[in-house]
Amino acid sequence: MRVIGRRVIVLGVVLLQLGFIARGYSADHKEFAFQMFPESSTWRADVVRVTADERRVPVEIPWDGYSWDELVTERGLSHPSFRHHADAGLDNQLAFLRAALDWVAANTPRDHATRYLEARVTAWHNDDPPRVEVFRSPVREMSR
Amino acid sequence: MSAPAATAPLRGAGVLARLDELLGREVSLRALSLLRVLVGPIVLLHLAPFLSDSLHGRTYQDVFHEPYASWYPELPEGAYIGVLWLGAVAAVAMSAGALMRLAALTRVATVTTFAVVAYNVFLSTTHFHNNRAYLVIVLGILAVAPAAQAGPAWPLWLLRFECAAVYGASGLSKLLDPDWFGGTVTWQRVLHDRADLHPLPDWALSVLTDRDFHTGAAKVIVLTELFIALGLWSRRTRYAAVWVAAIFHLTIEASASVQVFSFLGIAVLLIWAVPSTRDRVLRIDPRAPLARVVGALDWLARFRVEPAAPGSTPEVVDRDGTTIRGRPAVAFALSRLPLTAWFALPTLLLPAVRRARAA
Repeated sequence: MRVIGRRVIVLGVVLLQLGFIARGYSADHKEFAFQMFPESSTWRADVVRVTADERRVPVEIPWDGYSWDELVTERGLSHPSFRHHADAGLDNQLAFLRAALDWVAANTPRDHATRYLEARVTAWHNDDPPRVEVFRSPVREMSR
Repeated sequence: MSAPAATAPLRGAGVLARLDELLGREVSLRALSLLRVLVGPIVLLHLAPFLSDSLHGRTYQDVFHEPYASWYPELPEGAYIGVLWLGAVAAVAMSAGALMRLAALTRVATVTTFAVVAYNVFLSTTHFHNNRAYLVIVLGILAVAPAAQAGPAWPLWLLRFECAAVYGASGLSKLLDPDWFGGTVTWQRVLHDRADLHPLPDWALSVLTDRDFHTGAAKVIVLTELFIALGLWSRRTRYAAVWVAAIFHLTIEASASVQVFSFLGIAVLLIWAVPSTRDRVLRIDPRAPLARVVGALDWLARFRVEPAAPGSTPEVVDRDGTTIRGRPAVAFALSRLPLTAWFALPTLLLPAVRRARAA
């Protein structure tokens, strides 16, 4: 029994690890894939709050007691308007940015003016020409 | 049934028996004990930013985070902070327990440390970094390994596989990426960070920003990672791979922010020591400096020290019976101690030492 258990654990971990490494070639978040310093890609974004009356207010301006750089402190997202290195790859970085938009939209209850957050992203994959994308958070419940 | 078809199951059973023998063989687990001692402070270093934030009344819950799964349990803020501190205490206990050979304490502390670190890392996608993933793996294997001086070899094999996988996966991903292997990625990184390179002399700046330099340098980096991943498995290349890996980590530490990766990467290299003890003999005057050095630093119990006559030259008998005397013996002994190995290993390439070992 102990021998079989040992086999199962060792082969299980080995297969799982190989699976994670293979998954890293397609996933935005490459957990346990150990792809270190994968790209020299850079990015910057103009992130705005789009209000019910269609105003587009940069998140660099604090609102209702909130401040973007205090709400979003991780993964190099604190100051999106500056051009940054996407240190775990562009797909990973932009996945985090999309998630951050969603999180801020859902976790700023004192804000009754913002309909959604929007990021206009300029991304440079390695030395490729820049690519522009627009991400939006879901429309916020409190502004409906 | 044809002859090849009949022998196939036998071959399969033979492979399985060999695998079972390899995984179940009783080996020295001193390397894992020493690794526990070293990983304790690394865990403290890893937890430090979380603990520092908690002292200022902040946790991940107050800022952007992204849970992996909605069902993953999240603790109230006070309890979460308590768990982080428990992890820090457990990490200290793990190191202390391993140092003092208190098996029960070591086992409980290692499992607790692993549970806290893994729980915290999996709380949010934003907590995940490669160095933390490696730390979770190392702690997980240490948690299931016996906290004894000897035991079955399977945790050691598993950790060796994971160690090689880290370098192999990193090297392979760069090898398969034309931008990386062709030098574009490193060249672009240097160009973006050129402002930070101003302390370097002009000639160094000129080399580092030269596109052609990166065409070659990128291949050296990729092949270095792959050499470490593969070289660790063969006894002929293992010492070279460990030596190169140490330089590799120090270079990364000097040039990039990688949290605990360098410390962990270097510490885990210990597990590549042959898991047997006292199978080399060192005959030496007990008052000689080398005797004291070996007495203090032979943490993996490489040598059985036998007292020799006062003033006699040191003598090492290797596993294969080869006897080395004098300075080559000193160089050889130092090359087998964890703390001096990196400095002493290159001296084994000196002609005098090579001749002495071949004699």
